[in-house]
Amino acid sequence: MSGQTAIRIEQLGKRFGAGPLVLDDVNLTVEAGEFVCLLGASGCGKSTLLNLIAGLDRPTTGSIDVPAEGAAVMFQESALMPWLTARQNVELALRLRGVPRAARRGEALELLDTVNLADAAEKRPHELSGGMRQRVALARALAQDRPVLLMDEPFAALDAITRDLLHEELERVWRRTGRTIVFVTHNVREAARLGQRVVLLSSRPGRVAGEWRIAETAGRRIESPEVAALSIEITEQLRKEIRRNAA
Amino acid sequence: MPHDTTLAKTAGRVAPGEAGRVSRPDSAGEASVPGLDTAASLPTRPSDHEDFRSLEAGLDRLQTDPERAPSAWNRFTTSVLPPIVFVVALIAVWQLYVVIAQPRPDIVPSPLAVAAAIGDAWEAGRLQLAVLTSLERGVFGFLIAVVVGTPLGLLLAEVKPLRRAIGPIISGLQVLPSVAWVPAAILWFGLTDATVYFVVLMGATPSIVNGLIAGVEQVPPQLRRVGTVLGAGPGRLATLVVLPAALPGYVAGLKQGWAFSWRSLMAAEIIATGGTIGFGLGSMLDQSRELADLGGVLATILVILAIGILIELAFFAPLERRMLRRRGLLVAGAK
Repeated sequence: MSGQTAIRIEQLGKRFGAGPLVLDDVNLTVEAGEFVCLLGASGCGKSTLLNLIAGLDRPTTGSIDVPAEGAAVMFQESALMPWLTARQNVELALRLRGVPRAARRGEALELLDTVNLADAAEKRPHELSGGMRQRVALARALAQDRPVLLMDEPFAALDAITRDLLHEELERVWRRTGRTIVFVTHNVREAARLGQRVVLLSSRPGRVAGEWRIAETAGRRIESPEVAALSIEITEQLRKEIRRNAA
Repeated sequence: MPHDTTLAKTAGRVAPGEAGRVSRPDSAGEASVPGLDTAASLPTRPSDHEDFRSLEAGLDRLQTDPERAPSAWNRFTTSVLPPIVFVVALIAVWQLYVVIAQPRPDIVPSPLAVAAAIGDAWEAGRLQLAVLTSLERGVFGFLIAVVVGTPLGLLLAEVKPLRRAIGPIISGLQVLPSVAWVPAAILWFGLTDATVYFVVLMGATPSIVNGLIAGVEQVPPQLRRVGTVLGAGPGRLATLVVLPAALPGYVAGLKQGWAFSWRSLMAAEIIATGGTIGFGLGSMLDQSRELADLGGVLATILVILAIGILIELAFFAPLERRMLRRRGLLVAGAK
């Protein structure tokens, strides 16, 4: 949007040990403040790509440029510390970021309020529903205060009603904070609902197989006709990619 | 399809074919469903947000149950009452047998005779002395085992080659009855307190080490991953993530370690008497045996048992229950 590049991936390849190529010649540029959805079937290396961007793994060939501050990551499972309350979980991220003790509590409560969980601040993860846990995880990721937020199928395990609400929540947070978001999913509708750009990855090895840009993103809902239309188009391409594996 | 890849690469900036195609159905969609779509998606900002918050709060309420802690009466009837009833019944049957069968009192003393033996020992001051001596040694020896076992367990948990080398031996030591150390300890340290502490140490340390290793092993890998993503180095990852996450296994190891301490202590006290070794419960047991005082023997056994149970109930059980409840690992009312 602002024209600055947040993530630049060039001719990226990845294989694990002597195994087959997982990612092959992936080229992708994400601009600052952009919301990009990475979409693909199983085995397309979506999560591998995300781990590479997050710096949790190293590329075999090619290069990845990410902001020096690094990226915050959110996983499919909330991975909250079960012995800490929601507030303390957020405070842990603040502590590891180096926020002084006195400022942590207030900032954590503010972040929890951002995801509408101020009332649940003193609850422990097991007392929260799956959707609430993912919102705490989102607040924790925001607490890291990194310009890039990587999300690895964060809503895949949630029921449809909760997922709808979290889409809205995430979109609101994105517009408010101006974060660059890379959102990995295998759900075509979710990608069409959320992304400014949808990048389709082919499977085995993962390559960029198509890309869609959505000009107008405000006011989208999962049931919006434009989301449905885009989903049909993407699904067609996705099926073509999957069918190639049959031969 | 290689041409797709190149197309995607250029799509970013120039936005030809693909991108143009998408924005059209976008605007067409809004045109074909006038009013409805725009009204639903673009109302005034603040009330929209308020609506969303109340919607989300409602769903949160639906998806969470308020936690119901079991009432004190419920706890009493389900976990305290049954063992008490059983023990009372056992004593009643015992007393009934003594009354009906009239066995020789030096082979089957009555419950009352055993109670009297406890009373006698108390009056003579032997019981208090023995309990205090044993308890002091048990607790002190256990603490030494904790101090030795904890760093050792951490080291083995984190350094894989070391664990492969030493781990099986530690597990093996857990199987070895610690009484087996008594003769060796007597030869090394003579009849001193050092002998007793050595046996306790050898009895309790393997349990503590193994508990800690098991606890660290069971730490979910995603918690470590999150710790790394949040920016924790190895040191803070250990203190802020791995250790707290491993606490349930560690506490289980401590609990078992205490049981082993207490057992080893009694074994050592029964075998090693005299010298500078003080008068503990084990010594008292051995003394009663020498006097063929079965009432005294049974009384001492009951005291040893009672102290073991008491420490478990008063210290480890609440500690464990609190920890598990905080983590949601204890299902309320299941016990």
